[in-house]
Amino acid sequence: MTTVARLVLGGVLIAAGGLKIGNPADSVVAVKAYQLLPESIAVTVGYALPILEIVVGLLLVVGLLTRVAAVIAGLLMFAFVFGIAWAWAHGLRIDCGCFGGGGQLGVGEEPTYLLDILRDFGLVLLGAWAVRFPPGRFALDGALGLGGDNRIEGDDDDEQG
Amino acid sequence: MSKAERTKTKTAREKIREQQAEARLRERRRRIATYVTAGAVAVAAVGLGWWYAASNSQAEEAAGALASVTVQPDGSVVMANQGVTTPVVDVYEDFQCPACKELERVSGQTFKNLAAEGKAKVVYHPITIFSQEPTKSNSVRAGSAARCVADGKQWLAFHDLLYQNQPSETEAGFTVDQLKNWGKQAGVTAPDFDQCVTTQKHADAQLSYSKKIIDAQKIDHTPTVKLNGKEIDNPVLFSPQDLREAITKAAK
Repeated sequence: MTTVARLVLGGVLIAAGGLKIGNPADSVVAVKAYQLLPESIAVTVGYALPILEIVVGLLLVVGLLTRVAAVIAGLLMFAFVFGIAWAWAHGLRIDCGCFGGGGQLGVGEEPTYLLDILRDFGLVLLGAWAVRFPPGRFALDGALGLGGDNRIEGDDDDEQG
Repeated sequence: MSKAERTKTKTAREKIREQQAEARLRERRRRIATYVTAGAVAVAAVGLGWWYAASNSQAEEAAGALASVTVQPDGSVVMANQGVTTPVVDVYEDFQCPACKELERVSGQTFKNLAAEGKAKVVYHPITIFSQEPTKSNSVRAGSAARCVADGKQWLAFHDLLYQNQPSETEAGFTVDQLKNWGKQAGVTAPDFDQCVTTQKHADAQLSYSKKIIDAQKIDHTPTVKLNGKEIDNPVLFSPQDLREAITKAAK
């Protein structure tokens, strides 16, 4: 189960980051479209987000630093849920920019906020699961003796992804 | 078991325990080292990626004087040194579009520099691509106000101010008073500018020009930038270095 959670969450992150990474400017526009962050921070986040998604996604898929990666992934997804809810509540008509693209919707396009939120919230839950029961099978953590039983990385408190 | 033997066993047991503790400690150190290494590599990867993206999108510095800028009768604006006719860089943009603002921030200076270096003829086409309120009205107000500026240099200054002050897409912005103010800031000298902006004298011209351009050039998103009639892909468009290279190559 943890393995499935890891693979799904990691895969989604890699796909999301991969589609954005070729064009950081789009990603900046998508972040700005939420009108949530001040200009300079939005630019930084826009540049950093795709690469962060890919790196965390890779860590999850290979099962390295599983717990840390899952915490970050969970927090990311949580932030996305918040961002989309914010856009919805403020009546913005934007594409979530979840998989590249993003920004203002074109003519005849409708936002799919509810779907986006449900999807991302499901991913938060997967992240929480991976934090609670790391690292699952076929994980590098296991092979390297960094299994979920060691308490080096904090305690159970950080499952609040 | 004699007393001596017992003591011996005890010390042996203690020894084993010590060794085990040592082994655990070594194991623990090894784990921490692995964890820290992997973590450091991951953080470094994110940092490098961010740095690469940021440096790729680093805007050029203003190199000096602008090329000459002329407002055309149809409302498009040509920026080129005298005699430079190729390559043609057509910039289709909407003052209200956030991606256009981003393009202006990242690559706007590159267009200006290339034109000033005589390496390109840059043509701005401000259009209104939005069909929904309030973005449509905002865009029309800004676009028709820009049409009230006849002098090229002033037009470009006004153009830049519009992007710097772009309103949010969810509220009415580019108000008539704001537009008049920015005109003043841009040094617009046309005597009828204020009145022209207030009455939105050129709103119809803005809309019909937009329709004409959108149909003829098949524009479905802004910004669209075409190099000699061929659209420049976004990754190139938003990377000043690549953009400069693409346009310079077309000049040869």
